Amino acid sequence: MALIIYFFLFSPYRWWMVINWLQVLMNSLVWGCMYLLATVGLSLTYGLSRFPNFAHAEYITFGAYMAYMFFSILGLDLYLSVGLAVLSSALLGGLSYILLFKPLKSRGASLIHLMVASIGLGLLIRHTLMQVFGGGILSFKMIWSCIFIGPVVTTPLLLTAIVTAFIVAILLHILLMKTKLGKAIRATADNPELAAASGIDMDRVSLFTWLLGAALAGFSGVFLAMRSSLVPLLGWKVLLQAFAITLLGGIGSFYGTLAASFILSLSENLGVVALTWLGLSADYRSAVAFIVLVSTLIVKPEGLISTVKRRA
Amino acid sequence: MVLEVLNLVAGYWKIPVVEDISIRVDKGEIVALLGPNGSGKSTILKSIMGFAKVFKGRIIYNGLDVTGVPANRLVRMGIGYVPQVSNIFGSLTVKENLEIGAYLRKEKVEDDVEEVLEFFPELKGMLRRRADSLSGGERQLLALARALMGKPRLLLLDEPTASLSPKTALNVFSKIVEIRDEGIPILMAEQNVLKTLEVSDKAYILVSGKCIASGSSEEILKDEDLGKLYLGLK
Ligand SMILES: Nc1ncnc2c1ncn2[C@@H]1O[C@H](COP(=O)(O)OP(=O)(O)O)[C@@H](O)[C@H]1O
Ligand SMILES: [Mg+2]
Repeated sequence: MALIIYFFLFSPYRWWMVINWLQVLMNSLVWGCMYLLATVGLSLTYGLSRFPNFAHAEYITFGAYMAYMFFSILGLDLYLSVGLAVLSSALLGGLSYILLFKPLKSRGASLIHLMVASIGLGLLIRHTLMQVFGGGILSFKMIWSCIFIGPVVTTPLLLTAIVTAFIVAILLHILLMKTKLGKAIRATADNPELAAASGIDMDRVSLFTWLLGAALAGFSGVFLAMRSSLVPLLGWKVLLQAFAITLLGGIGSFYGTLAASFILSLSENLGVVALTWLGLSADYRSAVAFIVLVSTLIVKPEGLISTVKRRA
Repeated sequence: MVLEVLNLVAGYWKIPVVEDISIRVDKGEIVALLGPNGSGKSTILKSIMGFAKVFKGRIIYNGLDVTGVPANRLVRMGIGYVPQVSNIFGSLTVKENLEIGAYLRKEKVEDDVEEVLEFFPELKGMLRRRADSLSGGERQLLALARALMGKPRLLLLDEPTASLSPKTALNVFSKIVEIRDEGIPILMAEQNVLKTLEVSDKAYILVSGKCIASGSSEEILKDEDLGKLYLGLK
């Protein structure tokens, strides 16, 4: 520690180090925002419908491919394309709830059944996308100019992602804490039977949550794909992170997800710094999510904020 | 007649746990379901609410056959229900619990919250607290208050005084009597036999899923054999 402080203050490389740290913070912020958009739907639907939806990864991917289709293939306006892509993802999420998960649940399917069904659905969506768009790497062919904020480099895309995530977070806060529908969502996640006994129509509340969650996932997919490139595994590559965040934050908890998104992205970015110092490949980055996931399950299985009672 | 259960056979999955149960709740009555743990009291209430499976029999509410009608529709029809366990939303605030109780009403509920707080002064000043931070007695009151927020015309209560101290239990009993006197009939499961028979008008005695006796609470209190054999009274 003393060595680090010494370096920080007196080393001839100190400016390089200052720049580096701010950039690490910036990257953590960006990724935290991406993770928040990608994960909040997973957490809310997990809390409400009581099973982890592995196909959530494909809502992310699907949103990105739809944006590619509308923008790069059909040549629509960028904002319109993104809007349509988000709607398409929402539709996919809604349909998978109505046509698959709801019927399974009402026939008494267990957690394992629902989970396996969601993995199957995910594969189906992924392979359909590969059939239609090919399995290769696609690109939006957008070149982002660099923006320098002091010593930190970013792009208009990433700034947009940050602003979007903040707006979404505020809107979700208002929805969940101030509106009747939002309170009904939280009540249903907390205690479905009592919610029904209070007159809440669980099917409607669930459907809304699935639509919303998948829409936000699709949104995050668009950002992820525009930042680098579009591959069929786009969503799958952040699924581990999404689950780590969901469990760390507490299943179904919006504020938990919010905090956990930034905790995980900061840990990852610090992890990358550590890996570089140790001379290891930054590919071990995803190990951070894995470590967070496992330690959460060991140390605090209910997550930072528990909303869903653990069933014995 | 407000509620009539006719020859009910109900349970879970494929297994019936209560058999041939018939119950009647009239206007202005507290009707008690008594019996030891596991005798099927909760199952009867759950099958009325659609949370347990009805294999045979019918449930008639205000002249309508409501067998198999989902809970949220029953609430709309005026039935309030307080389950035995998990009867509050622990992660919501006390105020939100009350608001959810009035979920089906469109208009502002501030006045109703005030009114319910007049009835449960114990909950005043706790509106912003998370419901799972309340004591056992306060939770039971909140559970009742939540159900009352729905302005029910029939109330189903599942062991509202279970695991409360005798003093707190007495308080809950007096609230229940007040609710009845306001004109809301109540069907309630209880283990506190003596006190329940004191406040109720009618009672049904259940043993292993069967109704072995029923009648006015006075009669049952007087029946010494029944008291000794099934209700643990001397
Ligand atoms: N969810 C359930 N699934 C299967 N069996 C249950 C369930 N709930 C209760 N039972 C069984 O039904 C019987 C009656 O239980 P219950 O109605 O809760 O009795 P009481 O409320 O009188 O204590 C018991 O044997 C209990 O084990
Ligand atoms: Mg019971």
